[in-house]
Amino acid sequence: MVTPPWRINEILDRAETGPVCLEKDFDLKILVPELRRVIKDYDIQFDPLTPVPSDNSLADSMWNAAMDLYLEVGTLCTDTHRRIIFTEDEIKEALGNFPGKFTFGYGCDSREITNRQIEDTKRPFCMLSPDITCDEDLFVPMSMAYLQEPLADGVCAPILDEIEGMPIRSGYPTEVKGSVAHAMMFREAARRVGRPGIFLKSVGTAESDAAQIAASNPEWGERLTDGRFVASVTELKINNSLLNKMVHFHTYGCFVGALTGPILGGYTGGAEGTAIVGIAYHIQGLLVNQAHFQNYFPFHLKHTCNTTRELLWVISTTYQALARNSNLISTSNGFTAAGPCTPMVLKEAAAHSLVSVVSGGNLWEIAVAKNKHKNYATPMEARMAVEVGCGAAKEKYSREDVNEIILNLLKMYEDKIPDAPLGKNFRECYDIRKCKPSTEYMNLYKNSKKELIDYGVPFIY
Amino acid sequence: MTLESLFEALKRSVEEFKLEEAKNITKELLKAKVDPLKVINDVLGPTMEEVGEKFDKMEIFLPELMGAAEVMKETTAILTTHLKESAIEHPKPKGKVILGTVHGDIHEIGKDIVKIMLEVSGFEVFDLGRDVPSIQFIERAEEVGADIIALSALMTTTMGSQKEVIELLEALGKRENFIVIIGGAPTSETWQKEIGADGWTETAGGAGKLATKLIEGKVK
Repeated sequence: MVTPPWRINEILDRAETGPVCLEKDFDLKILVPELRRVIKDYDIQFDPLTPVPSDNSLADSMWNAAMDLYLEVGTLCTDTHRRIIFTEDEIKEALGNFPGKFTFGYGCDSREITNRQIEDTKRPFCMLSPDITCDEDLFVPMSMAYLQEPLADGVCAPILDEIEGMPIRSGYPTEVKGSVAHAMMFREAARRVGRPGIFLKSVGTAESDAAQIAASNPEWGERLTDGRFVASVTELKINNSLLNKMVHFHTYGCFVGALTGPILGGYTGGAEGTAIVGIAYHIQGLLVNQAHFQNYFPFHLKHTCNTTRELLWVISTTYQALARNSNLISTSNGFTAAGPCTPMVLKEAAAHSLVSVVSGGNLWEIAVAKNKHKNYATPMEARMAVEVGCGAAKEKYSREDVNEIILNLLKMYEDKIPDAPLGKNFRECYDIRKCKPSTEYMNLYKNSKKELIDYGVPFIY
Repeated sequence: MTLESLFEALKRSVEEFKLEEAKNITKELLKAKVDPLKVINDVLGPTMEEVGEKFDKMEIFLPELMGAAEVMKETTAILTTHLKESAIEHPKPKGKVILGTVHGDIHEIGKDIVKIMLEVSGFEVFDLGRDVPSIQFIERAEEVGADIIALSALMTTTMGSQKEVIELLEALGKRENFIVIIGGAPTSETWQKEIGADGWTETAGGAGKLATKLIEGKVK
């Protein structure tokens, strides 16, 4: 039997019998010093002039540093105060048994997702997602707008924070109710655009384990061909609620994704530490979260985006390390500073996908406007990202090509990140009844595309 | 060593979070009969302010900030113990703050930074941790006689719990007893106004200034 899952009972047992460790000690006495050690031992250095490095030995050193780190640190279960630790042989066994490809979705809407290589010409798997809350009445039109994007291989729905006039609160009955409604409406939206079998990632509305479990139902809710997330607690931690989800998803039989976002500026420190922890998260994701795929969104503590120079380097080096040393499958989740219908957001989206795809990632596009404003996301930002990402693969772009383009793109938006424009919300950008973008946004898109082509940015068509 | 060089060494030991070194220098300063308040006001306070500014500019990161804050806290404890023993009036905290990540939310980094920034700004902070039931904020605030309730939320799906705390305070007729401040990545000034919180800070680093402004301005 292929992994995942890799010996579920071992994880549950170690979460209760591993070495005792208080959380504060785990953060400051284990993770931080070990991370500093491996950065030094493996001589990892961020180069601001090369956000997309072409140095294979750097990628390998980073993988080795992450393996070394994870073997020493492991994962802390914050409920039991126990560290879940693995031997090198166990990690190799899990990695060695990982198949490296799955078929997501069903019927004619199904798509294969695989691991990718550096500078791979294979088209990336494209997940499209608003990654934000929306008004209840916008849920179906917004979902349909994303679902009908032609390059979408899978879609993740917006998040509900109200249901039938009631606010949804995590851990409350309204969360169960909202999560069930979310799953039902998302299925309906997929059928209405003629893609009933498309891979759906749900249920973002369900933060708690109970609400996630409530939405598992092949008839009206989450199917076996869909995907669900087991997140992590920052950094390299897990808890019983998350492990509950892991056990449920695997016994139910759906696809499991590990959701991981190391924070630059937090415990991981700068770019070097953030990337190494990001790679370690992928190892944790396979063994602890027991994931078929990982969704990776390192982000900036202050700006809550990942299109800064440092974070593009983090994304690039993480994917290069994974591509050269494993067959793990990972989607790269973009977070922009600017909001919809601004020239800046389209440049950020292009930058994120270019870096991700040339470095070996698949795509998950894209959270915008610093991921904090309800209704602020549209498929147009995601469209830009995936058209560029697929273009980079098709046109056989190299890391050197992309590095040069990124340096130019950064010149255009980098200094605007702290006060990035909020842009317009979904209602202002789309005809809600027809699920179509406004003329204003279409024109902006066309003009931005022309400008980006002048800078050498590739498009699939 | 001269007084200036001792002050400089203490500043450096805080910045480089060398706890033992900082403790030794502090004891040396006390032996030399230097006013503990002068050490707190002229060295430790400004040093932590500088450290906080560096963190805000991302010149240093969370482990360095936490390390420096720990040294500052331990050193200040030595100095205030000495003040108590000498029967000198020691500085009172600016106020008491109940702090936690709201119900349903397991994220703590932002809250941890807020704790440091509040402590170095002179507040006594009672950290309730994460996933804190709404009523617990109120019960603890009453128990310790808190001035401020500070609510952190990192998820769009848990922001509602910030509102719930305020609604509970209002329903219990206790809203006027506390200043309520909120923060966290998905929150905004608009959300603060919508739920009727007294203050919001975009970055965790701004929490100290916000709390000071609100408590000094007696907004409540």
